[in-house]
Amino acid sequence: MFIHAGMILVVMAVTFAVAKLLKLTIELSMFVAAIAGALAHGAGIPVRHIVDGAFTYYDVCLIFITATFFMNLLKEAGGVTYIIRGIITTFHRQRFVCLLLLTLVLLIPGALTGSGAVTVLIMGTMVGNVLTYMGISETRTAAIIFLCAAMSAAAPPINLWAMMAAAGSNMPYVGFMQPLLIITVSGALLSMFILGWKGKAVDLEKALKELPTPPEKMNFLRVIIPFLVFFALVLAGRIWPFQMPILGLPLMFLISAFAVFLISPKKLPLLEIASTTIRQLIPLVGIMIVVGVLIQIMALSGARGLISLGVVTLPLTVLFAALWLILPWSEGLVQYAAAPLLGVPLILLFNMKGLNPVIALSAMAVMWPLGDCLPPTAVVGRATVIELKYKGSYYGEFVKTCLIPMLIILFVCTLFIIFSKQLSFLVG
Amino acid sequence: MSEKYIKTVKIISFCIALILMIMAGRAFYEHRYFKGAIVLSPGVTEVKKLSDYFSPLEGTANDCNIYILDSGNPGGTVMVLGGTHPEEPGANLAAQVLVENAQLEKGRLIVVIWANRSASTVSRPGDAYPQFYHISTDWGVKKFRMGDRWANPLDSWPDPEVYVNYPSRQLLAYMDIRNLNRTWPGKADGALVERTCYAFIELIKEEKVGLFIDLHEAELEYPVISTIVANQNAQEIAAMVSMILTAFEFKRPIGMEFSPPSLHGLSHREVGDYSDALSLLFEAPEPFLDRVRGITDEHLLLTGKDPFVMKAGEYGLLYEKIDEEGWPIDVRVGRHCSTILQSVQTYSEMYPDKVVAISKVPRYAEVIENGVGHYFYDPDEAPTDRVVYE
Repeated sequence: MFIHAGMILVVMAVTFAVAKLLKLTIELSMFVAAIAGALAHGAGIPVRHIVDGAFTYYDVCLIFITATFFMNLLKEAGGVTYIIRGIITTFHRQRFVCLLLLTLVLLIPGALTGSGAVTVLIMGTMVGNVLTYMGISETRTAAIIFLCAAMSAAAPPINLWAMMAAAGSNMPYVGFMQPLLIITVSGALLSMFILGWKGKAVDLEKALKELPTPPEKMNFLRVIIPFLVFFALVLAGRIWPFQMPILGLPLMFLISAFAVFLISPKKLPLLEIASTTIRQLIPLVGIMIVVGVLIQIMALSGARGLISLGVVTLPLTVLFAALWLILPWSEGLVQYAAAPLLGVPLILLFNMKGLNPVIALSAMAVMWPLGDCLPPTAVVGRATVIELKYKGSYYGEFVKTCLIPMLIILFVCTLFIIFSKQLSFLVG
Repeated sequence: MSEKYIKTVKIISFCIALILMIMAGRAFYEHRYFKGAIVLSPGVTEVKKLSDYFSPLEGTANDCNIYILDSGNPGGTVMVLGGTHPEEPGANLAAQVLVENAQLEKGRLIVVIWANRSASTVSRPGDAYPQFYHISTDWGVKKFRMGDRWANPLDSWPDPEVYVNYPSRQLLAYMDIRNLNRTWPGKADGALVERTCYAFIELIKEEKVGLFIDLHEAELEYPVISTIVANQNAQEIAAMVSMILTAFEFKRPIGMEFSPPSLHGLSHREVGDYSDALSLLFEAPEPFLDRVRGITDEHLLLTGKDPFVMKAGEYGLLYEKIDEEGWPIDVRVGRHCSTILQSVQTYSEMYPDKVVAISKVPRYAEVIENGVGHYFYDPDEAPTDRVVYE
């Protein structure tokens, strides 16, 4: 069985590489690799498994879509512009506060949707412009946007990597709030201040002239109310769980989106924004669907077991020393599939070795999105340079500039894993 | 790329997707509406529905059959629950062995084969479970439906942002609102599986169940395995049964552990706390559930043989031993059968006014010798009024 599963992995890897060489998209390359794996396993084209696997992350995709729709409505209503202009107008003389607030603003979209790409799409250009007005170079600006987007994707409440790995190991997605919040907020602030502290005073006049103008009637209440609606629904479900009807996160986001629609100072073209949202998310939802198919075929053929076994039989010290490399690279290679593939066996192993699984998984779930600028997928990294119209070299300048904050975050995460037992008090 | 070319690609993609949907849809339909025949033992005196105890469940996917075996003689009442997690076939097969074979000399036995019937109508996306498995019997091959741990989202959706167990308020994973062993003691106006547990508690109270047994299987990477988990009200029975079976019957020991008082939603905790029944939960090893397993197929499900799981064992990563013999379904069902019989016997000895005497149910060695299929009967040969469908 070892040889069989090994052969399946080789077939899948070679097919994936060939498909990429033939310029197929990452999603199609993964799909073709899954089919090749099934054929090599002798299962023919297992239609039921393909469709079954495609539904693995169905709920997550719904959350993804509705949350992005909510954020897009807010952006279209002028709420995002209003906040950015507010920050820069009020705090342009206080660089520290300005950077701090911009970091927090960057964290919100990804924290709510679990996607760094959503942060880049919604906030990237605007915050990027503000950062350049603050005298930060284009390369550093791109690196800040990417790193904060990665941290936002890992920030609670929605961390897709932790959710997938927790679900795969029959572990409740509970108690992750504090550890994720601490690591991601520190990571984002660290990136922002390392790369953005040096610069010049904001040219307020130029900035306000170039930033989009929000509708006249937009105000702080109109921006905050939809968020309050969302958090009120979440809190109500926890405070009065036995009286509240079960809404589910997708419907909560839709209700919050409806709140944006109701109080927007301008009429919002709902259908158009919905279409834009779906078009934006097709590659990401596509990846989630195909990852499900890939995982199903790998489980069917024993390839998943071989990878899991390979990981859990490594000595702990080797794992501690190598995870900071393995996790980001696996993300670059197979995106979210890395969480169920490597995360589940690792969590079971850590649990058995007496580490705290919630803290360890939280740390791992911050390490994965840092790999989103690495090949072959590099989804968030590519989205960043495209959105910011970055002209420099992708690896030679952009990725290189990301490296120092990345290494510090990875080091902190590794410490969280090693000392997870001592940090158990962070589990809420 | 020209507009015409893109349009052609889109049409072809749509057609392929449609074909996939139709083919897979047929497979899902066949799985969801499959009916397994149960040949009632002469000991079965009545087949009720769960909705007889809680009418709002009528017509739902979880309105399962309740098999009642009444000796007509005074004694206690024992209830055995199979199919809490339909991905653990040793549990529902052992329950079915009882329904097709058991006869009562004293007291009453109540058996449920598919406690979370909805969960038996869905496979787990991403895990490549087979939809069915087949067991050889004396009269041919019998087909069984393989299910999942959680109820079918088609029957219970959406899930909450986080599941808050009623009434303990313990926070659990969102999908555990569909997990029958996280929703005890149930909630009358809750989601489907919460209502199912509520109905079972009503049943337990109405039928004055004295001993409640919930059957399970577990992966070898999971610490709660090859054991009896006991509410504090049943710890003496569990300890005695564990000692007797380990000393005299089983090749590999069966342990005993206490139900943690702070862990809510599980049957061994809540049934004992919310009814007068003594509550036990049995776990048998099922290598099929291990994440490090190799090829996921019917063979692994039924033989429990897997070189990857064995390798994990060599590295000390498992909580139960495994060798080339694996953990075949006959061994797992046999362990459940003997553990049930021994628990009932010990209960009867400890509570002489509530004696339950069961006969014709095979023990561990007999199930291994004859195979579990030997204890399932041909529905075509049985009188029609003695065959029911699940």
